[in-house]
Amino acid sequence: MPHITIEYAILVPVLILQIFLFPLTTGWLMNTWVDSRRSLALQEAASHLGSIMQQMYFSLSHDTILAGSVTQKPDVPLYIENNPYTGNATLRTVVDEAQNSSKILDITFRLENTGITTTTRVILGQNALWKNSTFVSNSANTCIVAEKFENGTILLSFGG
Amino acid sequence: MAGSTIDHLVSVTAFLAAILIFISLFNQILQTAAMYQRHRSLAMKCSDLLDNMLLSPGIPSDWGQTNVTPTGFGLQDPEFTQYRLSAFSLMRLLSSVGAPVYYPKTNQWYSNVTVGFGNFLLTSFSEAINYSTASRLLGINGTYGFQLTITPIVTLSISEIQSKEPLRIAVNVTGRGFPLANAAVSYCFLTVDLKGAYPAYKTTYGTVYTDEKGSTLLEFSEITKEDTSYALIAYAQLSGLIGVGYHQRVSSTGQYVMPFVDNIAEGRVIIAHSWDVHGGDNPAEIAYNATFVLLAEDFTLREVPLGADKVDKVNYGEGQPYKNVTIPTHNPGILVITYKKSAVEGGVIMMPWGISAMAFPVVFGEDPSGKEWVATDIRQVIVNDIAYQATLALWSLEGYQVIR
Repeated sequence: MPHITIEYAILVPVLILQIFLFPLTTGWLMNTWVDSRRSLALQEAASHLGSIMQQMYFSLSHDTILAGSVTQKPDVPLYIENNPYTGNATLRTVVDEAQNSSKILDITFRLENTGITTTTRVILGQNALWKNSTFVSNSANTCIVAEKFENGTILLSFGG
Repeated sequence: MAGSTIDHLVSVTAFLAAILIFISLFNQILQTAAMYQRHRSLAMKCSDLLDNMLLSPGIPSDWGQTNVTPTGFGLQDPEFTQYRLSAFSLMRLLSSVGAPVYYPKTNQWYSNVTVGFGNFLLTSFSEAINYSTASRLLGINGTYGFQLTITPIVTLSISEIQSKEPLRIAVNVTGRGFPLANAAVSYCFLTVDLKGAYPAYKTTYGTVYTDEKGSTLLEFSEITKEDTSYALIAYAQLSGLIGVGYHQRVSSTGQYVMPFVDNIAEGRVIIAHSWDVHGGDNPAEIAYNATFVLLAEDFTLREVPLGADKVDKVNYGEGQPYKNVTIPTHNPGILVITYKKSAVEGGVIMMPWGISAMAFPVVFGEDPSGKEWVATDIRQVIVNDIAYQATLALWSLEGYQVIR
């Protein structure tokens, strides 16, 4: 009889521990996976948007393109796992002596309800301008707007 | 009692083993899923990056024809839109396949895109854009590695069938695995005359058509000796698809002249004695005569006059300076230099001015072999009317673990 009591005294806590340990382990693994998946999806969308903006800029920058405005609806997902994402950008002139004639647009995207953020960088020419605006992925009219002026400057912004 | 204890021990061990197996399998499944997503993301990045390279001319847009270091990387021809690349921007990329060549008289290294004897493209390192600069300008420094390969789509295989009386040369035109039947082949045949103090040359131009097998035979009855040096440059054209091929025969490969691209903006090319670069036996002064040909809009080859420096002599060793020739245009063409070492020893060498003029391939970046997972994407592009295929291989430098 005493043996059985000792065995139960050891096993019952072990079993109770398993009840907690099992879902905790599963939850930890799933959270890691979900965070990784969301981060990657956000990075992918950010990189693609940056690429689209750079291509729009260079298309308009061509000498044969006259003043005007172009709107591009990007082919990025509206939601990442049911969460919308937003983007803001800042334009800075490169101070590096070797890169003294270009500007860099730093775009920061944030996945709402998660705290996941990512930044992508777009290299543009000296004639690039940025209009302060926010990209909202689930907005019905989300787009990228590029406007070329008579003096050759190109104003980029998020629309929608 | 003992039986009950053993039962418990076995059951607890089995339970713990089951837990461990579950965790490891579950983790493995998640790792596989994460890897799949990373690969998908890499493929998307590869496509975007290739478009960014090919659909933007870079900053400044004419960096390919100047000596400046660009502040934005792009290979598009600034005079065109879509997938049309600049032959000169491509020429400024530091080749990752040919062994660099050192020329002591300028104390400089040169990027080497040489394709066989006599077909040189040696661009000064000070003019060339290296991989780390391009990587930084593309914003992928430290995060992705890449290799960009530009290869011609149309191949012209030129081979000598009969060496004299008449000289017969077979030209075979093929696309990607199929012959180009009824393609128009415009050619420039240049023969070297070693009788005078300087080598003279005679050019013959013509156009022929390929048969259903993509082949055509050229005959030159004026070639009566086996040691007559010549060069043949041929352009094949079919429905907008254009390719280039070349072939030459020389009577001296021991001593010759080597062209080094010294200044792209000014079109200055150094003419060096080969002995100064890689030595050799019985060196002697070499006389040369340079000419420049380009493909006109009607797909015929035209000669462009060079300055007074086109004919000269170059000697080897210390105290003997190299010579220069200046190409007066930034239209892609071929610099053809006939050379003469003695009355019976001479030949002809060629150098493309703009990578497309001789359909030279470009390999730029790191070697993707041995990398963990490489995404590739391709585009069909045009480089000064010559059809090429651009391939980008991209891989991550950040690893593939789930937890970052």
